Amino acid sequence: MGGEMRVVIAEDSAILREGLAQLLSMRGHQVLAAVVDVPSLFEAVAVQAPDVAIMDIRLPPSHTDEGLRAAVRLRRECPGIGVLIFSQYVETAFVAELLAGGSDGVGYLLKERVVQLDDFVDALHRVAAGGTALDPQVVTQMFGRSRHREVLAEFTPREREVLALMAQGRSNTAIATAIRVSERAVEKHVTNIFGKFDLPPSDADHRRVLAVIRYLQN
Amino acid sequence: MKLLSTIFDSRSRRGLAYLLLVLPIDLLSFVLLMLGSLLGAVLLLTPLGTWLLALVLRGAAGLGGSRRDLAARMLGDRVPTPVRPVVAGIGLFGWRRAILKDPVSWRVLAYALIKPPVAVLSLALAGGFYLYGLISLIYLPFYENELGVEALGIMVTSVILLLLGPWMLRSVLAVERLMIRGLLGPTRANQRISDLQDSRDRAVKDADITLRRIERDLHDGAQARLIGVGMHLAIVRELVGAQAPTEQVVAAVDTAQATLTAAVADLRDLVRGIHPPVLDAGLEAALATVAAGSAVPVTVEIDLPRRPPPALESIAYFTACELLTNAGRHSGARKAAIRVDLRDDVLRLRVHDDGRGGAHRRAGGGLAGLSERVRVVDGSLVIDSPAGGPTTVTVEIPCPLAADPTDSRAGVLRDSGMAGTGRPGVVELAGSFPAARSGAGGSGSPARGGLADGSSVARVD
Repeated sequence: MGGEMRVVIAEDSAILREGLAQLLSMRGHQVLAAVVDVPSLFEAVAVQAPDVAIMDIRLPPSHTDEGLRAAVRLRRECPGIGVLIFSQYVETAFVAELLAGGSDGVGYLLKERVVQLDDFVDALHRVAAGGTALDPQVVTQMFGRSRHREVLAEFTPREREVLALMAQGRSNTAIATAIRVSERAVEKHVTNIFGKFDLPPSDADHRRVLAVIRYLQN
Repeated sequence: MKLLSTIFDSRSRRGLAYLLLVLPIDLLSFVLLMLGSLLGAVLLLTPLGTWLLALVLRGAAGLGGSRRDLAARMLGDRVPTPVRPVVAGIGLFGWRRAILKDPVSWRVLAYALIKPPVAVLSLALAGGFYLYGLISLIYLPFYENELGVEALGIMVTSVILLLLGPWMLRSVLAVERLMIRGLLGPTRANQRISDLQDSRDRAVKDADITLRRIERDLHDGAQARLIGVGMHLAIVRELVGAQAPTEQVVAAVDTAQATLTAAVADLRDLVRGIHPPVLDAGLEAALATVAAGSAVPVTVEIDLPRRPPPALESIAYFTACELLTNAGRHSGARKAAIRVDLRDDVLRLRVHDDGRGGAHRRAGGGLAGLSERVRVVDGSLVIDSPAGGPTTVTVEIPCPLAADPTDSRAGVLRDSGMAGTGRPGVVELAGSFPAARSGAGGSGSPARGGLADGSSVARVD
């Protein structure tokens, strides 16, 4: 599960902001600040130096995509801080934009995932530690997009399953548990996926990221 | 001196200048367009003819535009621009087709071809009165004979001519205005097309705004609250898992329940804003419900010999709601009255309040929005709101008898006893509830305000 995380939250709905803060505190994490808009988010980040920032997409004043802009900026300005978008939209375009600057320390989860607190905290840990966490539903929608079907036609159903879990940011061990196969088998699938994406051998983690990005941006 | 200044007032000077200015323009455009048309007509034997004619017509349309501008600037006579022809085909051929079939260009061409004699005559008449009068007066002292009867006659004639000058000029300009209106302005059909285009644009914009509002209300309201319910259930689970004191668990459950109630209320408000179920029972019932929920005591008077089509009922309903909300919110009214009647195929809605008045249409404001919505169905909205009050807003919507095929539910519900049945029913309701959410321009339900500070976002309605 990892240790205690230092978190800041930017969410304009009071009920969600306070609920989330309460849940995270109950799991022993430190909510340094829970704010309602982007300027106070950056202020909190500058002062508190959190491990991870959680933000809604739609924030004041225009309630369009301020949160996403803030996330992109935060990733550029403070690469050490994990950024988790906490959203009510299943929008692959938002995810692609978020991942355009690389996929380390970034996440996109639907708000209702909080209800499965274990999974949510798990994902938050991954993002704080520089990993990736994408919402399963967003990943499913990407699979459904016709542009992907051609590329995905080359994959076996098992490989697709593994790819989807990789896209969510899961480790090989986690994938093995999820689809009930051995870790070696997962490794084999992952190698095949790399091969089909024409990804040259290099640092394994980096290749995973590339595979996911290639898949998302295809 | 005073006489001179009335004869040569700025309007007359501008009129004379206009006549002088347009004469060469009219002659030149006559020659060019005439030559072009003749050449085009001759060349019709070859494919070149239609192209030349199209060019001539395009030129005529351009001329029409600049002549309209000139008239607007110098005569102060603003003639609306006709709708541009719709280019249906692709490329140059489509353009040619559209130009050749466009009645507007042909009418400008007709104007250009009949104008020169009119222009010459106009200038001769109007200018002649002034010139003859002036010259005779100036030369009078040099007249050979001593001040005889003849000289007196000439003087009187000149003065009369000069005095009649402005009148002559005005008559001549009136003819010019008629020609510009008749031939350079939009035809009635053309004007109607332009009006319809406007109202369609408004309808599309209105529908878009409504959809956005619904999306935003759902996103910020019910959806967020349901997630909040889930969060509090997760909190309950955590608390139970940690064997926390019962009060804490109960508090979390209470919050979850309150949030759920608010979510349901949000959805109900939203549904009512889209289409209030009571409207199915007719305007009378729907407006009585609104009146019951109004912060200001409202009298409702309905006189509907027949039921208007559902779309018009809906517009009348939401307009009444918003006007009533305005009365309660901005005017400090102590009582208000709604009257709806249908006479001579016009649905008339009148909302009256005894507040402080001063209501007016502001760009982007609520009344302007209502006015636009009403215009989509060819209706009108008139505001009578002197400072100090009272305020009366009257909405009139054409409501012809022709059977409306979309009125599918009429047969079912007309027998429900709730629909207007010709008797003018008066319902007196002094509501003591908090102001009803208008739905049409709704801004925050009562439930929302109570629960969350941040979640009641600043709306840009």
